[in-house]
Amino acid sequence: MTRESLVVSTLVELADNLVDNFDVIDVLTLLCDRCVQAVDMDAAGVMLESPGGDLQYIASSSDSMRVLELFQIQTDEGPCIDSVRDGKAIVNRELRDSSDRWPRFSPKAMELGFQSVHCLPMRLRGRSIGALNLFRADVGYLDDDDVVVVQALADVATIAILQHRSAIDASTLNGQLSQALNSRIIIEQAKGIIAESLKCDMDAAFARLRAHARNNNLGLTDVARSVVAGTLRSQALDAPRPPRTK
Amino acid sequence: MPNERLVDIFALMARYERQGVKEGSLALAAAALTNATGAGIALSPDETLLTNFGTSNDTATKLLELEMTLREGPYCDACAGEAAEEVDLLDTSSSKWMLYTPGAIDLGARAVFSFPVRIGSIRLGALGLYCEKPSELTYDQSSDAFLMASVIARAILAMQSGSSGEVLSEELEREATFDFTIHQAAGMLSVQARNDVGEALELMRTHAYATSTPISELAARIIARETGFDSKSGTWYDEGDIAI
Repeated sequence: MTRESLVVSTLVELADNLVDNFDVIDVLTLLCDRCVQAVDMDAAGVMLESPGGDLQYIASSSDSMRVLELFQIQTDEGPCIDSVRDGKAIVNRELRDSSDRWPRFSPKAMELGFQSVHCLPMRLRGRSIGALNLFRADVGYLDDDDVVVVQALADVATIAILQHRSAIDASTLNGQLSQALNSRIIIEQAKGIIAESLKCDMDAAFARLRAHARNNNLGLTDVARSVVAGTLRSQALDAPRPPRTK
Repeated sequence: MPNERLVDIFALMARYERQGVKEGSLALAAAALTNATGAGIALSPDETLLTNFGTSNDTATKLLELEMTLREGPYCDACAGEAAEEVDLLDTSSSKWMLYTPGAIDLGARAVFSFPVRIGSIRLGALGLYCEKPSELTYDQSSDAFLMASVIARAILAMQSGSSGEVLSEELEREATFDFTIHQAAGMLSVQARNDVGEALELMRTHAYATSTPISELAARIIARETGFDSKSGTWYDEGDIAI
């Protein structure tokens, strides 16, 4: 199997999973296995940040990897920890030169038979939600293409996790997307109506819309819909007030 | 073959991300992948409204807007589920679109193609490509475009999935070049013309077509109160001849 087809079959397998309920651990374990094959690694593991900010061990391709992942969490030290915190990739790091950076982790990893380490952040909305760790038993080298391949796998895994967390299927999502787009359109139409009726600019029109929604404990879209339908006149909208101080 | 191309798509997207491309990276990737002059992505929350999700260049934006005005053309067909192609718009023997074709030629397109953006039976919108010369898509180019359309569909849903139902996710807003000024202008116009916003939008479409003005430009002028509709005389007015 060529490297491309490994990556692709992973992507397709993961993508297929996106529309059904799936076991996130299975998917990430699959990702780890495929990384090991795709860029010739000896072990791979995934850690994710929990909502509280702690890192959690999620999946790995081997038991020694699992031990190392847990060790990083316990000692709060190691490439995965750094990568999640900085959101930056660590590539081609030789462990024998890393005892300054990771005084406890480096000897432990070498003891388990590894020589080099790479770590790629899993990013979502500009912030890292976890990291993919890759280990090699010799001093190997990942070139730019390798990094792209692995980062693509990490990105797809991120999408998979995201999908899992929100636990919704494609048709629900599409419904929500349509709804979100439509309500945005209605709000913009209402802004136009208010701006013309009250001879103000769009920002002032929006402030008016929002003030009315807040004061009357209504949704912004609902107020906008009434304005567009003509059942709520622009003049009847509450004017925005300066924020109250306690 | 599609396998390698999928990797290419991810590599292209990764490259645009590294280059710091903020908007339209999916459209840029689609154009680069298929060797088209330009590409655009339209979302269609319902059959009657096209929303610009992102384009790779100015002409691609204008071509998409042309369809917003006319409600016919390749994006409209693909949003309804049918891929469309015109390998040479000047060849009138095969002309599918009465109004779109001459408009698209004026904007500099000679060949146009479109592909539904969907997952299974769920339709989200369309991917459109144009070439400035008469062009046929090879089998490979066409498979690439279908593949890209499926990546776009997944990417859009993945981006929206972080948001709660009623609002567009921040990630989508960042990636997309949504332009909602048309709807603001329709709102203003509905007050001037004393009709509902749907009718006001139609009025805008007709006027944009009659005056060969891109609908976004007309919207900008309505919002700036440079042009508007007088309901008494039933005509449009223009405050001076504003050079564009």
